[in-house]
Amino acid sequence: MDDVRELHALQRDALREVANIGAGHAATALSQLTNRRIMISVPEVNITRLEEVPEILGKADDIVAAVLMHMMGDLTGRTLVLFPEASARTLCDILLRRPLGTTTEFAAMEQSGLKEVGNILSSAYMNALSDFMGMMLVPSVPSLAIDLAGAVLTSVYMNFGYDRDYVFCVETQFLFEDPGLQLKGHFLLLPDLASLRAIFDAIRLP
Amino acid sequence: MGRELFVGVAECTAGGAEAVLATLGLGSCVAVILFDPDRRIGGMAHVLLPSRSLSRATDNPGRFPQTALPLLVDRMLALGADRRGLTARLVGGASMFANLAPSGSMQMGDRNVIAVREVLNQLAIPIVGEEVGGNVGRSVWFTVGTGQVEVKTAGRREQIL
Repeated sequence: MDDVRELHALQRDALREVANIGAGHAATALSQLTNRRIMISVPEVNITRLEEVPEILGKADDIVAAVLMHMMGDLTGRTLVLFPEASARTLCDILLRRPLGTTTEFAAMEQSGLKEVGNILSSAYMNALSDFMGMMLVPSVPSLAIDLAGAVLTSVYMNFGYDRDYVFCVETQFLFEDPGLQLKGHFLLLPDLASLRAIFDAIRLP
Repeated sequence: MGRELFVGVAECTAGGAEAVLATLGLGSCVAVILFDPDRRIGGMAHVLLPSRSLSRATDNPGRFPQTALPLLVDRMLALGADRRGLTARLVGGASMFANLAPSGSMQMGDRNVIAVREVLNQLAIPIVGEEVGGNVGRSVWFTVGTGQVEVKTAGRREQIL
């Protein structure tokens, strides 16, 4: 396969299922970390022209906290965990055991906390994938950016993707069940095109 | 405030004195701002990649500086700009998540900036201001009527070019 647009319905379903397993484990990790109930959305397979990337998750100049990690081993690609600015603040409040609404800036302590959350979520996701598919997946160190959503997303695809025409991601949303809590996040799995074939082989899909 | 025109990824737009050209969330992309100060005609291109060889979808000239900038110049000339009076300012070309990049390789942001400078040099358009590189995303507003270029970044004060 050399074009993501050639994915057929069964393959998209399979990727959604794989993402669901990964995100389920990541959500469990986040739930334990924050001691709160978390729901995940049905994963979506996004295939988008690069030109439309900045708007995938909202406005291009919204600020997000983003943790990017490489996925290495039997599958290659990247994982990206994104929290909108308000959610990132709430998450810092919870992690640093402060009253809600206390975090005003992202200093070293807050950045370190967010990076660690991204690390834990991505590693849980990759672990689940590697168990399910019988593969070895190795995460890289995490890298954090707190910046404009458009800048984060285009940079991820430009600097690290191999396909610079159509971009591909499997996205799952996290939502905290507590309605009083302004907290949601996105998990993006960005497999390299060659690894899609490896995923389908592992789950015996033609 | 004039008419705000948003220039999306891989687009290029020209406008007269009433226009405010804006682009949001530049990461490794570069916004090239061209201006004819005497006639108050401006243009902005949001280029994505340093070279056509990096892409199979070459159908959109706005992606690459080699094709986007001549197109932008043509659009400005159509509005009555003087080819010899043009100046350029560059914004963007950041490198985010730099610690994950393969070591020794040049980042896409830097490559974009170099490619844009090269094309401007070929077109003999002088660069009069730059806010490029680093590791921060940027949004930019260009008020054609005054020629002012305003750059905003997440968490830092705005800069005027």
